[in-house]
Amino acid sequence: MSLAPNEDVVRAVCTDKWDGERLSPSLFVGQDISLSRLAITSLADHWDLFRQFVQKPPERWLELIAEINVGQLQAIGAKQNPAVVLTVEPKPVDWNPAHAEIPQRISRGLANKILPELKIHRPAPTERE
Amino acid sequence: MTLTLQTQPPAYVLVEGLRESASVSTVRRAAPDGWAREELLLRKLGPKGWGRVYHFRNYYASGWGENGRVLSPKALDAFFRFVENANFPAGKSSPSVFLTDRGGIELCWEDRNGKSVQVEFSATGAEFYQAATDEEGMVTFNDLARLSQHLAA
Repeated sequence: MSLAPNEDVVRAVCTDKWDGERLSPSLFVGQDISLSRLAITSLADHWDLFRQFVQKPPERWLELIAEINVGQLQAIGAKQNPAVVLTVEPKPVDWNPAHAEIPQRISRGLANKILPELKIHRPAPTERE
Repeated sequence: MTLTLQTQPPAYVLVEGLRESASVSTVRRAAPDGWAREELLLRKLGPKGWGRVYHFRNYYASGWGENGRVLSPKALDAFFRFVENANFPAGKSSPSVFLTDRGGIELCWEDRNGKSVQVEFSATGAEFYQAATDEEGMVTFNDLARLSQHLAA
């Protein structure tokens, strides 16, 4: 069953998608975009989870966590011309029971509408090891 | 005595995807190589852009991230040719470079009015987006120079 519109989801942003100034639109371009549910795992625990399983030092570091509300994501899709029905489906995996995916294909144009709506979380200055 | 050479099968066969028609290779402008490429990146993208491209080429092995693909040589070649032709607005910050999960390389900058412009180079062509007109599309490698002019207009 798809996630309810009131759920908040997050996406890890690593070095390949953030250069300290701009966020890569390809973060949300394509199909089966991976997300993670804050209803199951807290933001603080997501930092630990993503550091352990998503970042791969020395080349790939976790830089930011981007958050968006499911209902907000769906509203952005609905405003697109032509409208795109977006859903977020729970897809738990071994390392992350909160894992979810957007099964629909997101175009570059639509991804560019999503990016400005993201709530960006930055690590505390001392958190990068 | 007559010297005869025996016919042998070729040492390798170029796969179809890497072949290029003779007409295309003679018309297209050759990509800059070696040091010229390094200098080109430093001049157009600055030290940060140059460093990121170096990083993506040398340290992101196949399977990086969530099953990410290694940077496609075709995409990189197209990226260099585009950067060589491109004129980024003066007085703005240098374009950003990103590695995409499908092994492409993405270039993002702002036009004179501060609106986002993006091109992602993949193994099959270039996908672009222009926020000012909300236009997006895909071009072949043969149309990179035209795309550069279009995005600069």
